[in-house]
Amino acid sequence: MSPARPVLAAVTALAFAAGFTRSLHRPSPPSFRVATSAPQAEGRRPSAPGERRPARPRSRFASKTHDVTAHAASLVELGDGRLRAFWFSGADEGTSDVRILTAVFDPLRDAWTEARTVVEAGGLGRGLFRHVGKLGNPAAIRTSDGTLWLFVVTVPFGGWANSAVTGLRSADDGETWGMPRRLVATPLFNRSTMVRGAPFEYGDGTLGLPAYQSLLRGFAEVLRVDASGAVVDKQRLSTPGQGSQPSVMVTGESDAVALLRPSGQPPPRRAMLSRTRDAGEQWTPPAPVALRSPDAALEGLALPGGRLLAVLNDTDLERDALSLVVSDDDGWSWRTVERLEDQGADRALSPDDGRYARTVEALARATDATVADASPYVRSSRRFMCWDERCHFEFSYPSLVRARGGEIHLLYTWNRAYIKHVRFDPAWLDERLADPSNAPLR
Amino acid sequence: MPRFADLLGLFGSAVVIVAGAAAAGRRLGLPRSKLASLTGVVAVAALVPIGGLPLSALLRGIAGDWSLTTLILLLGDLHRAFRPGEETFSPRGVRALQVLLTAGGLFLYPLALGLGAWDPYRLGYGHPWLVAVLLLVALGSLLLDLRLVTFAVALAVLSWAAAAGESRNLWDYLLDPPVFLWSLASLLARASAALARGRRRGGDEPVRIPAGSSR
Repeated sequence: MSPARPVLAAVTALAFAAGFTRSLHRPSPPSFRVATSAPQAEGRRPSAPGERRPARPRSRFASKTHDVTAHAASLVELGDGRLRAFWFSGADEGTSDVRILTAVFDPLRDAWTEARTVVEAGGLGRGLFRHVGKLGNPAAIRTSDGTLWLFVVTVPFGGWANSAVTGLRSADDGETWGMPRRLVATPLFNRSTMVRGAPFEYGDGTLGLPAYQSLLRGFAEVLRVDASGAVVDKQRLSTPGQGSQPSVMVTGESDAVALLRPSGQPPPRRAMLSRTRDAGEQWTPPAPVALRSPDAALEGLALPGGRLLAVLNDTDLERDALSLVVSDDDGWSWRTVERLEDQGADRALSPDDGRYARTVEALARATDATVADASPYVRSSRRFMCWDERCHFEFSYPSLVRARGGEIHLLYTWNRAYIKHVRFDPAWLDERLADPSNAPLR
Repeated sequence: MPRFADLLGLFGSAVVIVAGAAAAGRRLGLPRSKLASLTGVVAVAALVPIGGLPLSALLRGIAGDWSLTTLILLLGDLHRAFRPGEETFSPRGVRALQVLLTAGGLFLYPLALGLGAWDPYRLGYGHPWLVAVLLLVALGSLLLDLRLVTFAVALAVLSWAAAAGESRNLWDYLLDPPVFLWSLASLLARASAALARGRRRGGDEPVRIPAGSSR
């Protein structure tokens, strides 16, 4: 029943004429788009005695719902200077009721709105015309043309090795969203692709989406996504065991540094680092740097002037400490700017130990001055952080944004139950960066 | 309103479901009329939404979109189900396609899984070398009258060039894991059978005693 040869020859000619045309018009290797924003003041001297010191970091909870999990926040700055955050929330990570929530922060009022649902599995499946069983990490970016992109991990059934990524676009800073689109990134049933790190832009308007394969030992990639939401190229950053969950920090039109979570590495683990000098066509093999990591997500940000700022769990085992670190030399060396959280001394308390409840209460009140009754925070923390007769602390999955005025905003998961927001005054950061007592990490 | 890529994806999953039902029906020895009824009912179930999404959407969520090569083979199988005794594709063409799919899969999948730093999947985003190799395959198969190969390759390239499916990668139009595994299994089965035949000939050949010789 095969077609007659003349017909077949004609179809073949047409096919390859179209094929070579498409091939000739494929996107050429782009350069990075370097973010333009307020310059970071360099070398600010420490405040003189009697001089008004810069304000210390301020914090509050971005999420306000108790007794649910809240995890993996992603933060973007909107066109009017407000910030929008996305995170997943539900009965627990990986349950079918998990939704992607969003809330908006007004820096002038210093307040977060109530969170609302932006994506849920059933609705996303109907929009994709395919079954979606559960949702995972979101990753968002607002591009220079004002489009807000949201990428979400989805799974039809089973675990994260069965994942794929879906993209959504908003033209009104997240008030409404267009039809979702599945990103096709692997030939194996399009499975095992996940996202976490903040996307970035190329000079031709395409997006760079840091991603990772979660099958076997996992490896890191960057997916190049066009304006329609289709993957049009990809670059491999690592091989299995060399790190995953990349955070890409663009430092120039051709230069970037990627920090990788040390997945697949035996302890003691160190964060991995890779560089590119040709806008991602080639990446150096990931190598460990002097940043301890318990195999957890990390996030970095390139500051104007070339400094790299990162937030990570600088511990060997658990995620009960979180630090802000900086590099002045393109990631070759790092030093601690501020220990944001540190509960290593109270690691693995017994649930009956009153210290756990008292510590959680104190941390909640220190985080947010509006917290009057801290008992729900204790209850929620116990729910997600107590198992096998022990209670733990977790401060993880940071998301960093530098706003147009230079202020740094950080979100991270707080005991798997809340999203904590910390804002850093640029003057305070400059002072800390200039502090010579912050010795390089080894 | 679904995009064309979604319609193609749903159609592809429906073909897989219907072909599976037809194969099961043939195994059960259903007469042609009952087989037609079965495939009709299954096709409706696969395409008509019941309480939300149709069955094809469930399969699509699990397995993703199928390659055009898979769909061509399955549609050919369905044709044969209703026209027994009629060869849809020449066995020679099927064997050649299986060889190419096996070679392509062995090249693509291990490296795509992370074996090494180079990812051949990246070629599928329009690298001219891959298109050139496929042109050679298409021309060669046309000259050798392996029409199934020519048709499958040409249709995959044309669909990719037209961005008909959800993927922008040419590999996804050419092959998928099930058709690769089917090809590999078929080749291995044929090789194994040939080996067994060779052994039988070697062991069971009767001893020939030349005429006139004495023992």
